[in-house]
Amino acid sequence: MATPLSLLLIVAVTIRAALFRSTLAHLIAERVEVTSPLTAWKRVVEGLALLDLGVSPYAGDVFHETPLIIYIFHFLVDYAEVTFMLADVMVAVALYYAVRDYNKQVFRKQKFALEADRYPADCHELVRSPAEMHYVPLKVAMFYLLNPFTVLSCVAKSTCGLNNAVVSLFILSTVKGNVLLSAIFLALATYQSIYPLTLCAAALLYLMQRQFIPINACRLSFWWFVAQYAFMYLGSLFVMVGLSFFLLGSWDFLPAVYGFILSVPDLTPNIGLFWYFFAEMFEHFRLFFLCVFQINVFIYTVPLSIKLKEHPVFLIFMQLAIMAIFKSYPTVGDVSLYMAFLPVWSHLSRFLRNVSLVSFVLLTCSALFPVLWHLWIYAGSANANFYYATTLIFNLAQILLMCDYFYAFLRREHHLVHGLYPKRKDGSEATLVLK
Amino acid sequence: MATAEVEKRRNHLAALSFVAVVVVLGIPMWLRTTTTYRAWLPMAQIQELAELQLLLSTDVEVVFARGTLTPEQQKKIPVMHSRDEAHTIDETDLSMHTLSESPCGSLVVYVIPQSSPLLPQDVDVYVGQRRMALLRVDANMKAGKSLHQVLAALEPQVKEVLQVMSFSHDDITAALSDRVRLSPGSSQSKADSMRTFKSSPGYEITFSLLNPDPKWHNVYWDMEGAVRTYVQPLLSKLNPVANFSVDSQTLHYTMLGVNSRFDANHSAYTLSADSLAHVINPVEARLGSNAASSNPVLNFLLYVPDAQHSPLHILDNQKQKVTSNAFHSPRWGGIMVYNVYGYYGSDEIAFDININMVKVMGVFLSQLR
Repeated sequence: MATPLSLLLIVAVTIRAALFRSTLAHLIAERVEVTSPLTAWKRVVEGLALLDLGVSPYAGDVFHETPLIIYIFHFLVDYAEVTFMLADVMVAVALYYAVRDYNKQVFRKQKFALEADRYPADCHELVRSPAEMHYVPLKVAMFYLLNPFTVLSCVAKSTCGLNNAVVSLFILSTVKGNVLLSAIFLALATYQSIYPLTLCAAALLYLMQRQFIPINACRLSFWWFVAQYAFMYLGSLFVMVGLSFFLLGSWDFLPAVYGFILSVPDLTPNIGLFWYFFAEMFEHFRLFFLCVFQINVFIYTVPLSIKLKEHPVFLIFMQLAIMAIFKSYPTVGDVSLYMAFLPVWSHLSRFLRNVSLVSFVLLTCSALFPVLWHLWIYAGSANANFYYATTLIFNLAQILLMCDYFYAFLRREHHLVHGLYPKRKDGSEATLVLK
Repeated sequence: MATAEVEKRRNHLAALSFVAVVVVLGIPMWLRTTTTYRAWLPMAQIQELAELQLLLSTDVEVVFARGTLTPEQQKKIPVMHSRDEAHTIDETDLSMHTLSESPCGSLVVYVIPQSSPLLPQDVDVYVGQRRMALLRVDANMKAGKSLHQVLAALEPQVKEVLQVMSFSHDDITAALSDRVRLSPGSSQSKADSMRTFKSSPGYEITFSLLNPDPKWHNVYWDMEGAVRTYVQPLLSKLNPVANFSVDSQTLHYTMLGVNSRFDANHSAYTLSADSLAHVINPVEARLGSNAASSNPVLNFLLYVPDAQHSPLHILDNQKQKVTSNAFHSPRWGGIMVYNVYGYYGSDEIAFDININMVKVMGVFLSQLR
């Protein structure tokens, strides 16, 4: 199993190295779909230069990454390409082992359920076999490494790759059941950008199920575990923020990083939904819409975690997708992270309804982005509306993809309880309708 | 893999959590961020302003002339200077004013001895121009009394003099009543308050002669002479207040915008009072104006009606003929209708109307005031 993985890694590294050496690297690094004001490599270099001059790197509203990135690249700036390739490799390896472990657990649960005869008689098609699950981790690693979005993101040296690495390490430690590491990596991910906070609920659910703690608000053990996890999480977050303060000697990274993420002052076009709205809004209502948009990212956490209480890994997938669509400065690197999970749910393919539509739209939009950008900025014959329309459709396709998988997942669960071919009382065939 | 009951309950809980977030977080946030900003006004203080008292203060100086005080009393008052009196009241006034060292705008009361020849015998008080007053002191004040007593005795007299010399609340009210409406009054007082002109550094006066029918009437007026004779004196008197510039023009083929009706009662064409308002607007469009200045303009128009509409009279509200045959509009100017009588019977008529400039100017002047 390791050999195909190493082969894959070698192939991926080769592709990236080849692109790094070509002239395309410079071109890709300027694309707004791949880099955002938060993650651009150009800005990291600016921040490092400012630090060398003795000025705070956050002066002048150029650099918006955390001091940790400064610290890392202060030593590694000459090996930046290697760093980003290593980050991608780390993501792939972490996801590989995480998915392998997850599959083992899924299989074990399924075995128990089969022995307890909990599945209806006609659900044999839905039961998963080890044979089909054997290559899923490799597929996950492949989906991540060979995804054009990921390759572009790595070649552009966008720090999104590093954020993805931290999130994938968090997923690995959660799936392995290590509470402390899970809390630490989640704190690190939240420290990098605020939105991984929503993964907290999923991590809690998974860890509690793994330790057989009943998820019941009336039980003391539930709250005790939540308190432990919260303590570890907040403690590591506090330590990281404190370390950042001591690293640079001032608190101005707080408004520059978190204030920037939350208040969206920079309206450079990207593949997100914020920039166009806020470009044309009246000042009086800006705060209101800002609150609405930011609440929109966090509002799905609680309902989704209620609904998907028994499937926390799917919940993580959903949360990653929501973050990638609704965050304030998304890039294609965020999109590629949740797309890496799609092979894990490949058994749902019989219930997916919009596969062709979603795939065509995503492909078309990815092709349209550079075209309309060129038409808007360089040729002057299009305008912002064209580009934003493409953004809208791209996000719409992602939302549709997410909803599709959600529907398919729930439908499979429903079939596992109520049988695959539902019959009416008189024995004739009935159809399922989604209400 | 949960039962239907549990699933349903979960669905409800999920939907409820959505609603909870919207209501608890969303609605207060929406209310707070989208309310329009209302500035707080101190209504109580604004009400107080309506009752504000006007406070005018001036310095008052009391000067004792030579001979009013005994030498002992004199010692206690700081001696400014001594000067010789003039011989008449008017000269006193002027000389005192020019010699006075008191700050500008202060009132000065001079106390003069009993035997002074400045005032006639039985007059004790004289209030002069240039903020000066003379007060004759009583004879029994001088001897044997201390300074304080003398001053105390003088005080009510000085106060009375000052009260005469200064503005009281009623004076100011009367002076400003033209401009400021002190209380919501009748429509008449409203109309009166709108009548006065806004003050400006200069005014322009334009005299226009309107002739709708130059073919038949060849009117001519001697404007310069009339202005020199009648208008200029008034303007010279007003010169310290504002600058006036006068010009005149003649407009041909200008009609009144209103059709006048033939009224059998008066055997003339008439313009009723309410149609007068419509006259000005069309005419004003044709009046040229001296656009070089930003001063307000007063227009005085003389309209000679054409043969078809002669004679033309203006009727007032009671349907009586207005004697001067003219009307004026506050802040704009006036229009007078000049009827030409008894010149018919031939085709070409040319005449001048010099003689009646008296009448015209009289009307205009009263309107100007």
